[in-house]
Amino acid sequence: MLLLLISAFLGVALYEVPSLIRNKYWRELVVFSVFFSFTFMLALLQTLGFQIPSPAIGVDYLVEDILHINYR
Amino acid sequence: MRLEKGVISSLQLFFLVNCFIQGALLPLTFAYPISKHDTWLAVIAAMIIGSVIALVYISLANLFPGKNFVQINDLIYGPYLGKFISSQYSLFFLITLSGYLWFIGDFVLTFIMPETPMSFIMIMFAFVCAWAVRQGIEVIARMSVVFAFIPAIIVFITSAMLLKEMKFTNFLPVLEIPIRDLIQSTHIITHISFSQVLVFLMIIPSLNEQRRAKKPILLGMISAGLILVIGTLRNIATLGPLSPVVTSPSMEAVRLIDIGKILTRLEIFVAMAQILLLFTISCIFYYAAVLSIAQMTKLRTYQPLVVIIGVLSIVLALISYQSRMQLSYSIMYNTPIISLHFYLVLPFMSLIVAKLRKLPQNNGRN
Repeated sequence: MLLLLISAFLGVALYEVPSLIRNKYWRELVVFSVFFSFTFMLALLQTLGFQIPSPAIGVDYLVEDILHINYR
Repeated sequence: MRLEKGVISSLQLFFLVNCFIQGALLPLTFAYPISKHDTWLAVIAAMIIGSVIALVYISLANLFPGKNFVQINDLIYGPYLGKFISSQYSLFFLITLSGYLWFIGDFVLTFIMPETPMSFIMIMFAFVCAWAVRQGIEVIARMSVVFAFIPAIIVFITSAMLLKEMKFTNFLPVLEIPIRDLIQSTHIITHISFSQVLVFLMIIPSLNEQRRAKKPILLGMISAGLILVIGTLRNIATLGPLSPVVTSPSMEAVRLIDIGKILTRLEIFVAMAQILLLFTISCIFYYAAVLSIAQMTKLRTYQPLVVIIGVLSIVLALISYQSRMQLSYSIMYNTPIISLHFYLVLPFMSLIVAKLRKLPQNNGRN
């Protein structure tokens, strides 16, 4: 599973990065790298079995338990 | 400098909006348990309210012709606060996209391919979406012209075939539920379909006639809203008290078609048509998320971000939702409230601030 994940991300990087470097799109490369590393971290942590806090449950908690503005 | 070189006509925008609203026939499932057999009234109310809200977005777009939403925020609130608000919207588009990906994964898993892991369905779906988004808005708009007709025709034909099964006493008594539930249901439907027209603020700048966005958007919303009403009427008349209970009323209602033991199990047509529509919706949200991020970071092209944002949305979807119950509960009770901030408060505030600062004139002078 880990191998599959790494090869998938490697594939994405090989698909995008060479054309960026060839066209000297450095700014694009930086933004791409930031998103790439963030996504890779999230996917890796999830594959390794860490419990990442769910944003949807976070929104539920915010609306229900902090703001108390939910229906019902 | 403009990121998107593609140009769409107002007819294409009409079909895009039409697809976008029609795609709510499956997510409408979340409203049935609240308003039961009066859901069709909630759909009509949501259509009217959504059209009024859409007028705000259209007037915002007309104030700044040729500018997309991120640029409008920058002009209204200045570079820093504008970036803050735009980043909220980018996150919002991304989370909505991941919600739709999860929804379609769950839908395919429940009705068509029960043995497949959900992540595979989402990856395949997101791959096709990424392909369409990389081609630009023109391709998505051209697809929508075809996609708008198929589901509408299927809704009409299945309604005609189900006439035998329908009992119109299922609608009685009208307005039996408390008014509070009707308001909640209207709010849910506005949240899942009509007010999401906000996302078209990212697409209107690609229109060939800048100030003519009003007619196609409103006509698209109303025509698709009428198809939604017909679909809802079909479901309630056919299923009756069963409609709040079943997983997906549209699928279950069409499953009842049985004409001479030959035309049976037609619900797969509904599934196919709705997947086409959900594909268009996902493409639009995907495109908006990618374009807003590229615009905020001042890139020269948005294409390098397309694949990685798709992967991010899949990962977000897998992290966010564990079960259908969680998604239903979230959409029924919590997210409509929090999305008011995005659909209503911020656009209204933007419009008022723009009027107070007399922005378009300043913009024209500079």
